[in-house]
Amino acid sequence: MKGILEYSQGDTVIHRLNPLTKMLIALLLCMSSFLSNNLLAAAAIIALNVIIGHLAGIGKKALSIMATLLKLGAVLFLIQVLLIRTGDKVLDLPLNLYITNTGLKFSLLLVLRLVGATMPLVIMLTVTKMSDLTNVLVQKLHIPYKYAFAFITALRFIPIFEHEMNGIIEAQTARGVEFDTKNPVKKLKLVLPLCVPLLISSVKRIEGSAISAELRGFNVRKKNSGYKKYSFSLLDYSAVLVTVLVLIFSASIV
Amino acid sequence: MIKFSNVCFAYDKANILENVSFTIEKGEFVAIVGRNGAGKTTLMKLFNGLLKPTSGNVSVSNLDTRLSKTSELARHVGFLFQNPDRQICRNTVKDEIAFGLNCVLDNKSEIEKRCRETIESFGFSGQKDPFSLSRGERQKVALASIIALSPEILVLDEPTTGLDYKECMHIMNIIKELNRSGTTVIMVCHDMELVSDFARRVIVIGDGGILADDMCKKVMLNSAVLARASLAPPQIAELAIRLGDDFGGILTIDEMTDKIESRCLQ
Amino acid sequence: MIEFKDFSFKYKESENFALSGVSLSIQKGDFVGIIGNSGAGKSTFTYALNGIIPHHFEGDFYGEVNVNGLDTVEASPSQLALTVGSVFQDIDGQMVSSVVEDELLFGLENFGVPHDRIESRMVEMLAMVGIEDLRYRNISTLSGGQKQKVAIAAVAALMPDILVLDEPTAELDPQSSLQIFNMLRMLNEKMGITIIVVEQKIMLLSEFSKRLMIINEGRIFLDGTPQEVLKDTGLLRNIGVNCPRVATLAGRLIEKNLYKGDVPVNIGEAEIMVKRIIY
Repeated sequence: MKGILEYSQGDTVIHRLNPLTKMLIALLLCMSSFLSNNLLAAAAIIALNVIIGHLAGIGKKALSIMATLLKLGAVLFLIQVLLIRTGDKVLDLPLNLYITNTGLKFSLLLVLRLVGATMPLVIMLTVTKMSDLTNVLVQKLHIPYKYAFAFITALRFIPIFEHEMNGIIEAQTARGVEFDTKNPVKKLKLVLPLCVPLLISSVKRIEGSAISAELRGFNVRKKNSGYKKYSFSLLDYSAVLVTVLVLIFSASIV
Repeated sequence: MIKFSNVCFAYDKANILENVSFTIEKGEFVAIVGRNGAGKTTLMKLFNGLLKPTSGNVSVSNLDTRLSKTSELARHVGFLFQNPDRQICRNTVKDEIAFGLNCVLDNKSEIEKRCRETIESFGFSGQKDPFSLSRGERQKVALASIIALSPEILVLDEPTTGLDYKECMHIMNIIKELNRSGTTVIMVCHDMELVSDFARRVIVIGDGGILADDMCKKVMLNSAVLARASLAPPQIAELAIRLGDDFGGILTIDEMTDKIESRCLQ
Repeated sequence: MIEFKDFSFKYKESENFALSGVSLSIQKGDFVGIIGNSGAGKSTFTYALNGIIPHHFEGDFYGEVNVNGLDTVEASPSQLALTVGSVFQDIDGQMVSSVVEDELLFGLENFGVPHDRIESRMVEMLAMVGIEDLRYRNISTLSGGQKQKVAIAAVAALMPDILVLDEPTAELDPQSSLQIFNMLRMLNEKMGITIIVVEQKIMLLSEFSKRLMIINEGRIFLDGTPQEVLKDTGLLRNIGVNCPRVATLAGRLIEKNLYKGDVPVNIGEAEIMVKRIIY
């Protein structure tokens, strides 16, 4: 999961799609996942995500994203399955806890939906250059450049801060803070004070970044300053069409 | 004592270090040099278990780093990073020094005592906010909070980056003093002048292994090895090489001055 | 041309002047190196040039700073930016894109360089600094030295008259630092860009600068050719500024009456000096 959201270079079919198409596909897949009412359909959407990842040359990364999300999902599943009390009991547990068939199905579906809905955004952002996304938001959706740039910069800073946080954790472990403990609660307690150095270095960074952007003409940029043009090709139309079909299909099967 | 035996380290299937073996005795002052990306930082992190060897063995003060937690090794190995801001996380200098002590000691009065001693010997004002200090001062605070743990071994990762000459000399003199009183010092450094001024032994890293491991003077005068590691020899050493065989073996300004003087008298 | 007229500045929250009584001019095409202890006022000097002072940092501003006829107080930072390009120490912080090409495009687009000239400008710039092969690379996969080259190329592509760099090699190893200075020398010689670089690596400064300035405790302490400035090594030692070893050696030889003449600022000159003494 290292470098999540970091741009992955390539010249695949997916890379060549218009950035807006990529975002639209991600959104449609996300909706499909939430609208699916069937375990198989929800699983199929996850599979589709993995295939897209593979087509984009980041198959391995897609799988590792899936694995991480499934791990998080497992926790959610456990909580959900114990909370739902309607339906037929399938397993009795101590402490007056039990698992029902409705609970099982609902919780499983919830997890699959969440995984299926998170993956497309992560995958698409990984294969889209941030500057392309900014430009297309400005050119096609007429979002003011300032906002688009701020949004994109926030995304771009995620891996930088992740790297900084790793550095801080290393430095603290080396001086005897028990970050290498297996106990997650203890670990969380240890992480909190570290937000101070992270915050301070972040504020410094962002200030420098803002000055540097301004000195390179950020404030005098005009609406049509973008050099690259982003047209829609047959590939874009067909890709969107296919995704719309996926949406209709997953929403209609019960 | 530190012992690397046949240490390999691989990241993403690519070997960064291959079959590295050496021993560092108590009280040594060793510089580790090499170009960026040669594996110096990897090697550093193997010293305190931040990285574990893929194969082979690293033993530090008779502890196998693979079997010990880094946070436990911290009692034996003090580690000063290039950027003090990753380390400093408390609002006063005193709290910052106490923070590290709290991690390794339980005895409250002992913590209080060591804290006071460290602040005194560094001449800090304990209530100051470390973030309001200059980079050099912050580096000193970071160093102080590590020295307070009185580790047997001190590992320094480019400790003088971003410091001016005055601050740099201040930090280096503190380290020199510690070494004199028995602390083993291992320092990664780019500045060959600094290395030749302070280190007694130099390990040159390059091409995934050790290119040279010898007395400082010998390495600094070995232009073939330095070139292979893309390092420039210290100015005086290079000048001596250019001046020809008669100036062979000259590394310091004093030696050079004496040599020129004696040549003039001839 | 740059002109400081009795310039002084005090930051809003500070009690002391960061820089005071600075009067000097810098001619077009010069290569100025600046060194001094931290807190001496080096960064303040660069901020005064690119308009960060007084536009970003508030405080008491006295005197006048003129850059190519623009008064830095009256001109906006964006206006100044076309004349003065700035490069900073924090390599990752100053990047705005994820890919090299886009990093160059950012400034060119912002300042409205005609679109039909952008491609050629970009190709020329990348070729001039020898990083054509990096054009489509992801910035996060580059080494520190490569990133700093990209940052400089992105600013130089705007064809400023002046380039101001605040410790551009602080995070780099000796080899990459040397490459950056070679790149600056080329921009200086081929494009005639005036270079003003703050740096702690005295050996690089004395080798590459045409003019060397030492700032100490808020004042311009010494200002001249590297040979002139490094003449009195004892004086420099007193204020805690490093000297190239060959200059220190020369100082020692002068003390012993073995040598009279210019202080060497690099190994080549030192070799000549020693040969002149012993033969």
